[in-house]
Formats: sequence, structure tokens, C-alpha cells
Amino acid sequence: MLNLIAGILVPEEGVITMNGNVVNSLEPEDRNVAMVFENYALYPHLTVFENIASPLRSPKYRQPEGKIREEVERVAKILRIDWLLQRLPSELSNGQRQRVSLGRALVRNPEVFLMDEPLTHLDAKLRHQMRAEFKEMQANLNTTTIYVTHDYLEALSLADRIAVLNQGRIEQIGTPDEIYYRPATEFVAEAFGEPEINILTAGLVNKDGWMYLNLLGDSDHFAVPGRVRQALEEHGADTVRAGFRPKDIKYSFTGDPSMLRASVYSFEPLGAKAILTVQADGQLIRLIAAADLDVKPDQPIYLKFNVEEAIFFDSGTGRFIARAGEKGVRSVG
Amino acid sequence: MYALFALFPLFWMLLISFKHDREMFNTIFVFHPTLENYRVLFSTGEYIGYFMNNVFVSVGAVLLSLVVGVPAAYALARFDFKGKEDLAFTFLSFRFAPEMLVILPLFLIYQRIGLYDTAFGLIWVFQLISLPFIIWILRGYFEDISPEIEHAARVDGYSWWRVFLKINMPLIKPGMVAAALLSFIFVWNNFTFALLLAGQDVVTTTVASLKYISSDTVHYGQMAAAVTISALPEVILALLIQKHLVRGLSMGAVKG
Repeated sequence: MLNLIAGILVPEEGVITMNGNVVNSLEPEDRNVAMVFENYALYPHLTVFENIASPLRSPKYRQPEGKIREEVERVAKILRIDWLLQRLPSELSNGQRQRVSLGRALVRNPEVFLMDEPLTHLDAKLRHQMRAEFKEMQANLNTTTIYVTHDYLEALSLADRIAVLNQGRIEQIGTPDEIYYRPATEFVAEAFGEPEINILTAGLVNKDGWMYLNLLGDSDHFAVPGRVRQALEEHGADTVRAGFRPKDIKYSFTGDPSMLRASVYSFEPLGAKAILTVQADGQLIRLIAAADLDVKPDQPIYLKFNVEEAIFFDSGTGRFIARAGEKGVRSVG
Repeated sequence: MYALFALFPLFWMLLISFKHDREMFNTIFVFHPTLENYRVLFSTGEYIGYFMNNVFVSVGAVLLSLVVGVPAAYALARFDFKGKEDLAFTFLSFRFAPEMLVILPLFLIYQRIGLYDTAFGLIWVFQLISLPFIIWILRGYFEDISPEIEHAARVDGYSWWRVFLKINMPLIKPGMVAAALLSFIFVWNNFTFALLLAGQDVVTTTVASLKYISSDTVHYGQMAAAVTISALPEVILALLIQKHLVRGLSMGAVKG
């Protein structure tokens, strides 16, 4: 996808436009895009300085030598690699190489920045640091950036708009809020959020003028909120897939008739919190628990699902039907 | 042990090149060193002519192979086309055929089309030797260069040709030097083609060394001197470009 925009690959069909001009037949050097490659793609025989200066020395974007020096030093300072300028790429750590490759893009003033997983190869700490800096840089640069990542946190924190791709097809394009709260498909819902969302098949039961969900063999306790009910009725199916974020499931060890009985399957402490996996009716459900919880496998546990936060999908196509509440509704204007 | 085995003949050659003909067979290490052989060698301009012939055809063959071989190696490394491996193998197979086997048809062809006994004819046949080397060595070097590096340079605003000259060429330089040197040595030392495909006009030093076998006696001293001189350029070249013969320059370009 980025290669297509950069002009490295030529699309088999379709049209790529930039600022209203069709650029399909334009060579990469004529497109005025800057790209950060996943594997850095530095020039091994050139020093860091020359690597970063390379676009400014090319016939297309040539700048006077004094200006080049100034720009390279400015960018190197932002990326904190100014003390490495005379080194060769082979003398750098992966994190430093990554930043050099970023620098090579940032010295330019392109129509669009293309970034192919620019942070994936950094260690976790540096990644978080760079993520914050990206956010800052992006606000200052004010240039369109297309940023590819597998890390949903990067996407949610950096993006104005997210396009979720599944096997080469766009599943959804939306703001981070839309993606998180109103995912278009089950795939999108599963891709965002850790631990993963629990999506359960639920029958719809009408009883006493209320619509209930038949979840995990229990049809008495999950009343469907009014707004969703209307959408579900319009949809017309009698089973749906209901998604619950792990944080929307409460647990307790003392039984209560409004709760669902399950048993503990596994417990993974993660420092500040823990992931508790429980088993109910043959299905595994992930939820977030306190890290100091003391549980044993197979211990009985009682769950309370927050239907107000549930996300409903079509049971056949996995497409979004409805969710309760206002969260993630596209703000007008 | 290996060094001794490999170097002793060279040493022996050097020794006899300083020996007088009459001391040739009755002395081993103790003799009266003389420059007589070298003096005879250069007394006529003949030998220098042979030497220059050899320089001309060898350098010509290597240059021709580089001009053809570098793009060929690049294509074999980068592009996927039908029969790619077959083509690469065909280049290599030039090296399989014994020279004696192909020399006869080549001889006939050369006589027919007038390439016999011309410098260009020799260059043409010598590049059969040097081209496969250059292609196969450089192919590996090109494969070591990640395509992303080229893409990055394109995005940086360089045209394809500039990328090739500014990014690819410096990166394959060590390979190019090594391949050129190796093929130069092979071409320089080639005897069969030079003997049979050239007559009086383009005599190379390897062929010329035969001239010291006269009907009544063999001038081993002069022959050794001639061969010593003809081995010099190889040694000098190898020493000069030694520092370029380093690999691993492309390390650190992409995530390994």
C-alpha cells in the first residue's frame, strides 16, 4: 500500500491521486513523498550525516550546502542523533538506525510522509518515548502522514483517522474513537484492545415486553437497552454476536442471582493489573482483574456483563449492528 | 607447508632468471647472479611489444566483461524473469568447456570472419573467461543490497540511473574489484586461446615464452626472466587493490 503511494509499485488497477492529480504514472522521485522503511534502508557506505542529507542533495530537491548542514543538524537534534552524524550505519544500534531513517524523511518537506512500522524494531521503552515525540512532531509539522503499524496503541494514540486493513481490504476507516467504540466488524473489534474483546454468540429472547440476550445459556439477566433493541429489531435476526470489552465485565466470588456462574481458567498478573481468563459454558472469557487477586484454577466465579457497553454484530457477516450509548458517534462538523 | 609448496616454483623461477645459461644445470642455490637474461630480453623491443599486447587484450577483455557483466549481474539479482536460473547457468557453463574442445571451431570461425590474429578477436574470446566470473561474483553482491535501499533512494529524489551509480556501484565495488582482478589473472595467463587464435601480430607474453625454445637449446634463463616479468603486473595489481578486497560493506544498512 505504501509502496503504491510512493510509486515503487504500480497498481494493477485503480487510481492514485495526490492533491487532485493522478500520479499513477509518476516515478517515485517525482512524487514528492518521504518514506520511512520498516528495515530502515540506510545507505551503508554513507555516514549518518550523508544519509540524512541525501534527499537534499538529490537533483530533485537540491538545496545549497549551508542549508543542508543546518537542516540535517536541526533534524538530528530532534531525533537526538546529533552526536552520531559522522558514523556509518553499521556502527549504530537498531534504534539509532531507525531514527536516522526517520531523519532522512523529516529533512524534507514532502506532500506526504509514509511510515512503514517505524517504531516496531525499537525496544519497548524507546518505542513509547518515540511515540510521544511523534505526536509532538506531527502537531508541529502539519503534513499528512500515513503510518502503518501493527500496534493498536500506536494507531489509537497517533492517528486522526485509522484505516483498518484485513487481508488487503479496508475494513473500516474512522477516528480512533469510532474504531474503538463502534468497530465496523468483529475483526476490527478484536484488533483493538488488549486483552482482546470477548465476542459471544447470543440468542435474542422476548420476554415480558423486554428483549433479553441468551448468553452462555442464561437468558434472564441481560436486558437489551432500548436504543439497541430498536436496531436489533430492525435487523431482524434472532441471534447476534455480542462483544464485551474485558473492562466491561465485573466479577465477584460471592454468588448473586443477577450474575453468571463461571470457573477460573487462568490468571496472568501484569504488574498494575492482571488478565483473568474464566470459562463459562465451554467458552473462554477474558477480563481485567486486580493484580493482587488470589485465585486458584477451577475456582467458581460470578460475572456481571455490562450490556450498556456491549457491541452487537451480525452473527453471519460479523458486521456492526449497534451499540448502546453515545460513545464514538461521529461528531458532526 | 602449503605456502612452501605454492611459492617454491615461483622462487625457483626467480632463481633461474638470474642464472647464466652455462650455470643452469650444474648449480642450485650458489651461482653467479647475472642480469644477462633480462638484458637480452629487453635488448630488442620485441618482448615489450608482447607485454603491451597482453596488457591490451587482458584489460580490454576485463573492461568489456565489466560493461556487459555488471548490468547482467544486476538483472539476474533483481528481476524475476522466465529462465533466469538457466541463463545464469549458461553463463557459468562457458567455464565448463575445455578450451581445447572449443578451440577448433573457434579457430575456423575466426578465420572465416577475419577475427583471427586480431587484438579484438582475442578480447572477444577472453571475455568468455572473464564474463562468467564477473557475473557470478557480482550477482551475489547485488543480492546483498536490499531493494528497499534502492526504493529509499528513488523516494529521496534520485532517478533510476543515479541510484545505480550512487548507491549500487559503491556497494558492489569490493566485489567488482575482486572479480575484475580474478578474471584479469585468468585472462592474462591464458595460453591456449592466445596461441591458437593469434599468429604473428598479437603475440602475448605467455605465448612468447615459447620462443626461447630454439632448435638446439632451451634458454631457460631468458624464459624464466620473461615469465617473471609477465607475472609482475598481477602481483602489483593484487597488492595495490588489496584494501578494496574487503567484504561486508553492506552491513548495517537494513535490519539484519
